[in-house]
Amino acid sequence: MTGDVRAEFVAALGADAVLADPVELRAYECDGLTGFRVVPALVLLPRTAAAVADAVRICARERIPFVARGAGTGLSGGALPVANGVVISLQRLRSIIEVDPVNRRAVVEPGVTNLDISRAAAPHGLYFAPDPSSQQVCTIGGNIAENSGGAHCLKYGFTVHHVLSADVVLPDGTTAVLGADSPHLGGYDLLGAFIGSEGTLGIATRITVKLLPKPAAVRTLVADFPSVEQAGDAVTSIIAAGIVPAAAEMMDAVAIEAVQAALDAGYSRDTAAALIVELDGPQAEVDIQFAEVRQLCQNHGTTNIRVAGDEHERALVWKGRKAAFAAVGRISPDYIVQDGVVPRTLLATALTRIGELAAAAGLRVSNVFHAGDGNLHPLVLYSEAAGELERAEELSRAIAELCVDLGGSLSGEHGIGTDKACSMPRQFSEDDLATMALLRAAYDTDGICNPGKVLPTPRLCGEKPGVHRPHPLEAAGLIERT
Amino acid sequence: MTALCPSTVDELGAAIAETAATHPRLLITGNGTAEGWGAPARPADATVDTTGLTGVIRYSPADMTIAVRAGTPLAIVQQVVREHGQRVALDPARAAQDATVGGLLATADAGPLRTSHGSLRDLVIGTTVVLADGTTARSGGHVIKNVAGYDLAKLFHGSLGTLGVVAEVVLRLHPAPRAVTTVRVPASAEHGFQVATHLVTSGVEAAALEWCAGPDDRLLVRLEGTPDGVADRVREVSADGATVLTDDEACEEWSAVAATAVGEPGDTVVRFGALPAAGPAALGKIRAFADDLGLGVTISSSVPAGVHTVRVHGGAARAHSHLLAALHDDHHANVTVLRRDGLHTSSAWGPPPSAIRVMRAVKHRFDPTCRFGAGRFDGWLDDEKGLS
Ligand SMILES: Cc1cc2nc3c(=O)[nH]c(=O)nc-3n(C[C@H](O)[C@H](O)[C@H](O)COP(=O)(O)OP(=O)(O)OC[C@H]3O[C@@H](n4cnc5c(N)ncnc54)[C@H](O)[C@@H]3O)c2cc1C
Repeated sequence: MTGDVRAEFVAALGADAVLADPVELRAYECDGLTGFRVVPALVLLPRTAAAVADAVRICARERIPFVARGAGTGLSGGALPVANGVVISLQRLRSIIEVDPVNRRAVVEPGVTNLDISRAAAPHGLYFAPDPSSQQVCTIGGNIAENSGGAHCLKYGFTVHHVLSADVVLPDGTTAVLGADSPHLGGYDLLGAFIGSEGTLGIATRITVKLLPKPAAVRTLVADFPSVEQAGDAVTSIIAAGIVPAAAEMMDAVAIEAVQAALDAGYSRDTAAALIVELDGPQAEVDIQFAEVRQLCQNHGTTNIRVAGDEHERALVWKGRKAAFAAVGRISPDYIVQDGVVPRTLLATALTRIGELAAAAGLRVSNVFHAGDGNLHPLVLYSEAAGELERAEELSRAIAELCVDLGGSLSGEHGIGTDKACSMPRQFSEDDLATMALLRAAYDTDGICNPGKVLPTPRLCGEKPGVHRPHPLEAAGLIERT
Repeated sequence: MTALCPSTVDELGAAIAETAATHPRLLITGNGTAEGWGAPARPADATVDTTGLTGVIRYSPADMTIAVRAGTPLAIVQQVVREHGQRVALDPARAAQDATVGGLLATADAGPLRTSHGSLRDLVIGTTVVLADGTTARSGGHVIKNVAGYDLAKLFHGSLGTLGVVAEVVLRLHPAPRAVTTVRVPASAEHGFQVATHLVTSGVEAAALEWCAGPDDRLLVRLEGTPDGVADRVREVSADGATVLTDDEACEEWSAVAATAVGEPGDTVVRFGALPAAGPAALGKIRAFADDLGLGVTISSSVPAGVHTVRVHGGAARAHSHLLAALHDDHHANVTVLRRDGLHTSSAWGPPPSAIRVMRAVKHRFDPTCRFGAGRFDGWLDDEKGLS
């Protein structure tokens, strides 16, 4: 990048909004997938949407690749910089512009954290439904890019179901509003296509999200089962009974052991599987269905049911569940978090096959997952010092591809990013991928917006995929991983 | 006119590829229930008739997903899944006329359940589409949670047959409610908005909250759940003057809602979106305007979503067009014509949305020779001249 271009960024954004110092740039070299690292040429820290547009206009004119970045908690290398490119951090666009309790929505800048939206809405009895475990830190811009979910997406859906409109800076530096004041709009659902596009179609600079009223009643239980399969069958029977739990989460024995060692969240140590079921909604419905859930767990051989008696006990159940990744991290020197999806009815098959793959690789895998929607998060435990890295990476990739082979998906919520772009041909045909590339080209003619992510490229797929190390924020105990 | 009538996706792809030179302009049709949507399509060289592309590809009741060929009527899908106590949580008026799943996706249509379940955008988990050169492309898949790749179904939502042919659709299913009760509350638009807002924030979780006008002004509250749970919630909802409807009465009310969206020969039907709180004033204005112009209006509004369907009847064609123009003035690009019999002109769309450049770019990439649905978006897509 020439000094002239750099000077132009400085002129447009101000000197304090352009980082070029190698030490400062290093802080942006990776996201939560720390095995991939690239130091960008510059990091830009615009303060306004207009400044974002100014920056992108310069990039477009000079054909400089740019990568948007929120909090950098992404787990698929979506915010990985491009060498000689710029990172556009949205961290300074952090204001909550409006909370509108009458229309139940909030207008926010992209750098606002997921949890801060719910905090701002709380005085009105409202909240923002998507609740990724990283919610204290991750930004709404990142949530939109990844179409993030959370423990409660079985009932409430993902980010795409809770965003009404977004002002975006397109890769040519022009701006557009995607979406509208209501879900009815004329023309293609361009907002829907933008959400989940992993920062490859433009940068969201102002977002209108829906807010939901807090449910009238919430009830939570933890049921122990002698096998993960039985717990899985219990989930299937709950759903077959016409119940849509707010959440249905499972942990296997390794995870339970780790959680109990890390913090006493009250889980039984001697059980093969713990199933968390949470129901919410109108009091009358919740009471009736909660009794049914208990009965169904009993029918499937639960050995113990613990009902959260109050808000404190409920919080403890969730604290344990949300700490599971970090806790497992403590019992193994290194680990990789996988994120794959299988049809829920194939959970037992998937877990058996994962067990076989792990045994063949001579490594341990712990399973913590969103049982209601078949979203698995197998944790591959290994020791880099013992030279197990390569085997672990292979096992992790084999697990993701197993999910595809079972009729599922490479990713349920962490995204494809840099990490899984090379596995995409496993799930999609050449024509499928070429058609997706048409959408990308419609938004980004010159291929400068987060290039190398999502779709496989020969350059990338020749390289070696990376591996998980604890995110710096996680290491600092600030956030936990699901 | 030539009709391409494929019964498999492969046949569809081949037919489209083979006719590129002989039949450059194609009009995609299902059961014809949305003929009146948008602006009139210009004459085509052939139709792509999707009604032979029917049937369930894979139904997994335990996973609560179903894959169907896009020409399958929604009503048939509902019948299949009802046997397992499930449903597609979508109740557009056109379902009763055998609207196809693909047609419903392409029109972004929905009914009163949009209040709780959104539209097909929110229920489709995978699609297969065929593009202008015959390329067959899939996105999404068979699992509910899936972020791998771009979600092409979203692009086709509301595309009115201008991007490609929706060939297969995978849907997420929901449990069919064990009990359903509708409560009717007599209410002006303003009062209806207040009651609906109160019900939403009280956490009663109504499946539908539809305010209706013509002949009487009323709010319909539909509660779904377990028998005891619904009975309990009905008590919560029932205020002064509210009537708990019998099944027959409820059926009549919901049929009237559907009738508003369908209209009668000679009517104009328009759907528009607005900020929920802006609904009562917007509707008041429409009614006053209609009075002045000597028009009759029937309205059905999904109050919490801010989506309003207005059926205009009687009066002069010129007056219908005036009313539409007034809606365009106030609600810009978020106004869709669902039935245009009553209109004086063929122009259906208001000013294009701010994202029109993106929409045109998408059209250009997906259908560079403008094979599909020329005219549907009027001046929004410059598809007569071809796009640059
Ligand atoms: C401990 C831990 C737990 C997690 N738990 C969950 C979970 O439960 N569920 C879940 O879904 N995810 C989870 N994640 C993943 C991650 O937090 C989410 O993907 C989150 O949405 C990323 O937000 P971010 O602000 O950190 O984005 P970043 O990592 O900074 O960026 C992610 C992507 O978004 C793009 N982007 C950022 N801002 C914008 C913008 N304004 N406009 C356009 N594109 C933009 C980037 O280019 C990049 O492609 C977890 C991560 C960690 C580390």
